[in-house]
Amino acid sequence: TDLIFLIRFRHCCLLRNQRCVLAYLYDRLLRIRALRWEYGSVLPNAIQFHMSAEEVEWFNQYKKSLATYMRSVGGEEGLDLTQDIKPPKSLYIEVRCLRDHGEFEIDDGTTILLKKNSQHFLPRWKCEQLIRQGVLEHILS
Amino acid sequence: QRVLLLVASDVDALCACKILQALFQCDHVQYTLVPVSGWQELETAFLEHKDQFKYFVLINCGANVDLLEILQPEEDTYFFVCDSHRPINVVNVYNDTQIKLLVKQDDDFDVPAYDDIFRDDEEEEEDSENDGDGSEPSEKRRRFEEDVIERTMRRRQRREWEARRREILFDYEQYEYHGTSSAMVMFDLAWIMSKDLNDMLWWAIVGLTDQWVQDKITQMKYVTDIGVLQRHVSRHNHRNEDEEHALSIDCMRIAFEYDLRLALYQHWSLYESLCNTSYTSASLKLWSVQGQKRLQEFLADMGLPLKQVKQKFNSMDMSLKENLREMIEESATKFGMKDLRVQTFSIHFGFKNKFSASDVVYATTSLMENIEKDGPESSNFIKALDSLSRGNLDKLHQGLDLAKKQLRAIQQTVASCICTNLVISQGPFLYCSLMEGTPDVKLFSKPVSLCLLSKYLLKSFICSTKNKRCKLLPLVMAAPMDVEQGTVIMVGIPPETQSSDKKNFFGRAFEKAADSTNSRTLHNYFDMSIIELKTEDRSKFLDALISLLS
Repeated sequence: TDLIFLIRFRHCCLLRNQRCVLAYLYDRLLRIRALRWEYGSVLPNAIQFHMSAEEVEWFNQYKKSLATYMRSVGGEEGLDLTQDIKPPKSLYIEVRCLRDHGEFEIDDGTTILLKKNSQHFLPRWKCEQLIRQGVLEHILS
Repeated sequence: QRVLLLVASDVDALCACKILQALFQCDHVQYTLVPVSGWQELETAFLEHKDQFKYFVLINCGANVDLLEILQPEEDTYFFVCDSHRPINVVNVYNDTQIKLLVKQDDDFDVPAYDDIFRDDEEEEEDSENDGDGSEPSEKRRRFEEDVIERTMRRRQRREWEARRREILFDYEQYEYHGTSSAMVMFDLAWIMSKDLNDMLWWAIVGLTDQWVQDKITQMKYVTDIGVLQRHVSRHNHRNEDEEHALSIDCMRIAFEYDLRLALYQHWSLYESLCNTSYTSASLKLWSVQGQKRLQEFLADMGLPLKQVKQKFNSMDMSLKENLREMIEESATKFGMKDLRVQTFSIHFGFKNKFSASDVVYATTSLMENIEKDGPESSNFIKALDSLSRGNLDKLHQGLDLAKKQLRAIQQTVASCICTNLVISQGPFLYCSLMEGTPDVKLFSKPVSLCLLSKYLLKSFICSTKNKRCKLLPLVMAAPMDVEQGTVIMVGIPPETQSSDKKNFFGRAFEKAADSTNSRTLHNYFDMSIIELKTEDRSKFLDALISLLS
């Protein structure tokens, strides 16, 4: 009967540890969710390496939910909510290539060769993805 | 339609590029910008991009060679060339489909007439067809004889025509010089489209000043162009004269100034600027002890205490700065420097920021030719391009610091060359070669820096030598370029005279000398008078050059 206090004490510690771990895992999930908005539907390998299998599964399901929602929102084709997160100021932007990326196709079928330090003036919606990935840099003049 | 911009590596091209970029952004024309520093890069860039673009704009490159032959483009590719290099290749002038030249109408070109250089070859073929229809033998023989006579006469005519053509082309292409600054041409374009802004005007001013700093245009042309720009400046900036309607202090304003010719003097100390500007240093002969004394006398004559003059210019006493320009001009005329003031423009924005056009030129040039490699060649170009925007003041200040180092290095090299008599007369020209261990010699492995050094050296040499004949000679300067590959960069500049028309014959002379000696040379730069050469071939190349020009 004397041991009840020790048991209760240890139990409280265990509960606290459990709360900490849960908080940590939840925080990870929130960050993974933010990754979908930042990087798009395909995550770079370096990041996927640090995720557990369950987290990857969770990410895929989140992706699916988001896609279903986006399809339902904007009429026929759906609305891509991950674009234009900040209100755009202009249709076309000036970008500079930070590393060699190879060829890049734009809407009218033509390709652009993205070499390091080349500068381009392109439609905003095509560049956003690459800006987020760090391949292009937006130049403000 | 998308456009590829190929931009050469000099400040005038950078300014023209900025103006064109602003115009394209205004009209939502998609473009890609590729910097090129020589013919090889131009060809590589063209080959890489030719499948993706139909329209190419070449800035400060491409006018002086046969573009169609070098690049071999498809039929539906168009080139727009805005280049200040002259003479423009005749093929480019007379091609009316694929090559469009952007030039000002009143730039006189002296292009040879079309019939003198181009000739249809169909006449020859018509002859051979006529031989086909023969009838009787005797008639045939007579006609055959007549035909033979006709053909020999035609051949002789053709040979004469070809000889005359070679002469005309030789005269036309012999001398290299520069026309109106590309930045000014672009600004004109913007003005005609009514899309010109004060920013673009400033870039046009910097482009023109770059031509003046590098001594590419005559004094008269510079003054004429300044007049043209001054009209635009007063049109854009007249609000500042009216007290009531003046713009806020943060807005950019351009002002015409009859300013001192001292390089970077407002961002340096007056003393340093006097020592490191070629005009003052050459006139006062600052490499000698007497020169230093003369400098002290000059300063004493103006009543400027040494302590003040060696301080940063902004910290000098206001009482001294008040009539500085007039005071300096007066004393300078006493010491034989009549042209110490020059017409130029300066830009102000905010309370602290005031830059003269030549300051920006020096800063941008040294950023572009920065030898500290923190990336591939093109990152220097990008940095220099950025520094021209007002938002990137930190880059501009970095450029100013680099420019100070560069000017100091130039002056020290010039002083040592003159004191050690490194400039020798080879007969038809003067020659100076920088040895490998010379301090700061790496700075001079870049074309524009080496050209600046050569011009300053020639000016100083003329003031130091007593030999009247040597004063009229041009200068060839060599500096080590890449020690591992054993190459040397060589530059030829025209003689320095009061009424010099800045025409340079070294381009063709270098080509001929290289051909005749089979030296391994690379004529890669857009200015034909700058070449790369293998160190082993240097002496035979020079001998050939001497015999060619004597």
